[in-house]
Amino acid sequence: MASLRSASRLTTPARSLFRPAVRTYATISESGAPTAPTRNLVPPEETKTVKEPAPSKDAKIKTFHIYRWNPDEPASKPRMQTYTLDLNKTGPMVLDALIRIKNEVDPTLTFRRSCREGICGSCAMNIDGINTLACLCRIPTDTAKESRVYPLPHTYVVKDLVPDLTHFYKQYKSIKPYLQRDTKPEDGRENRQSRDDRKKLDGLYECILCACCSTSCPSYWWNSEQYLGPAMLLQSYRWLADSRDERKAERKEALENSMSLYRCHTILNCSRTCPKGLNPAKAIAEIKKSMAIGSSM
Amino acid sequence: MASTTRLGMLCARQFQASSRRVLLQPQSLRQSSTTLSQRIAPFSTTTQRKILPPGPQVVRGGVNEAAPVPPPQYVIIPRNNGTAVLSAMNTTSQLFSERAISVALIPLTLAPFAAGSLNPTTDALLVAGILVHSHMGFQQIITDYIPQWRMPGYRKLFDYALLLATLLVGIGFYEFETNDVGLTEAIKRIWHAGANDATVGKSDLNALGHDGKLKNLKE
Repeated sequence: MASLRSASRLTTPARSLFRPAVRTYATISESGAPTAPTRNLVPPEETKTVKEPAPSKDAKIKTFHIYRWNPDEPASKPRMQTYTLDLNKTGPMVLDALIRIKNEVDPTLTFRRSCREGICGSCAMNIDGINTLACLCRIPTDTAKESRVYPLPHTYVVKDLVPDLTHFYKQYKSIKPYLQRDTKPEDGRENRQSRDDRKKLDGLYECILCACCSTSCPSYWWNSEQYLGPAMLLQSYRWLADSRDERKAERKEALENSMSLYRCHTILNCSRTCPKGLNPAKAIAEIKKSMAIGSSM
Repeated sequence: MASTTRLGMLCARQFQASSRRVLLQPQSLRQSSTTLSQRIAPFSTTTQRKILPPGPQVVRGGVNEAAPVPPPQYVIIPRNNGTAVLSAMNTTSQLFSERAISVALIPLTLAPFAAGSLNPTTDALLVAGILVHSHMGFQQIITDYIPQWRMPGYRKLFDYALLLATLLVGIGFYEFETNDVGLTEAIKRIWHAGANDATVGKSDLNALGHDGKLKNLKE
């Protein structure tokens, strides 16, 4: 094993050879005892706006470990902060717990949320090891188990649970997610479509671009710069499958390279994790099929 | 010359680092044994040796510009009458042939054993299939893990190393097929190697020769 390690060191870029073996992952620490911040942080006990009442006898106390990283403290490492909540006084979903923590325990906790019903896709995060929407994920009622909440994996973190999705949206723009037509409909009215053609879009148009599937894909982790990822390929197929679109050849040509589409190795993490129950892997398989057989879709 | 001194410096540095670690560890442990474990309790227990550490975030172009689309990877062959055809080997057909070869290898592997006869033609087909199949598979691995946009030098190195390896294996297979028994026969012999080995299911040690084999070898 040691010989393998020294051999693998030869293939590393020279930059990292001289870099000390520093851990960059978050470390677990007690709440209020952050790992050597550059200035004093106010512990959450002092920032509470409401005094926590004494726990009742039948209280269901659940522990949450939440990933914290503050861009104002760039020298301090990311850490896990521990919060406890009484589940009897908390809503059923993880987002309810997060909102309660932010309101009553620690206002510095940062996360995105908007619709709280799985329509906007803002609150995508990694909860107990699964990418999902916090608003659609029930808090496990087993209080013996502690819940862990992280931002979406392999994303650049803006703060706490907020990932930077700039490149994700740039990729969305690159697949031209709009109807492209060269001809006008004969009667000069809207572009019509038969019921059967409309049915082909079911399971595709519901995607809310929460990035859960793309950030669960190992292939996207390694090659997110060029591989489009399951979410974008599902969207790409949504326009390839649309009977009204007239630029299918160009859309296919944009995928005709080794990186954009063919980095999909049917790992199927995307279909397993999708909080909306969609099947990006099937859409990718349909694209591959249509490109190999050359059907007009 | 320069490379050897650099290697020497590297070794010296590593030695220094390791000796420093050994010297400092008990001291720091003595200072704060409880907080130390809390401070450095990591998710993994092994030291990190990142082969390709993630770089800082780079947004190419503006945040509202579309991500660049890689150019289509096929050759356009112009015809005399003004039109153009695409060459057969675009990415899709390449991937398609990869799958086709994978599927074709299954009957090719089974055929000699099912038929019970050794045919040099099927043997040659099997060897060629394995060669192309493994070359394409390794090419996929290189495409996955050595990104062209980030490490073009390493990519070129590994691409050529793969070509060289495939060429070497090809020559080796050719020699083995023409001058030796061939792949199927070799596997068959290895498979039946235990038939003459006394240690397999035999307890009568008196039947052994000095070399650990049975005295009367089966043919």
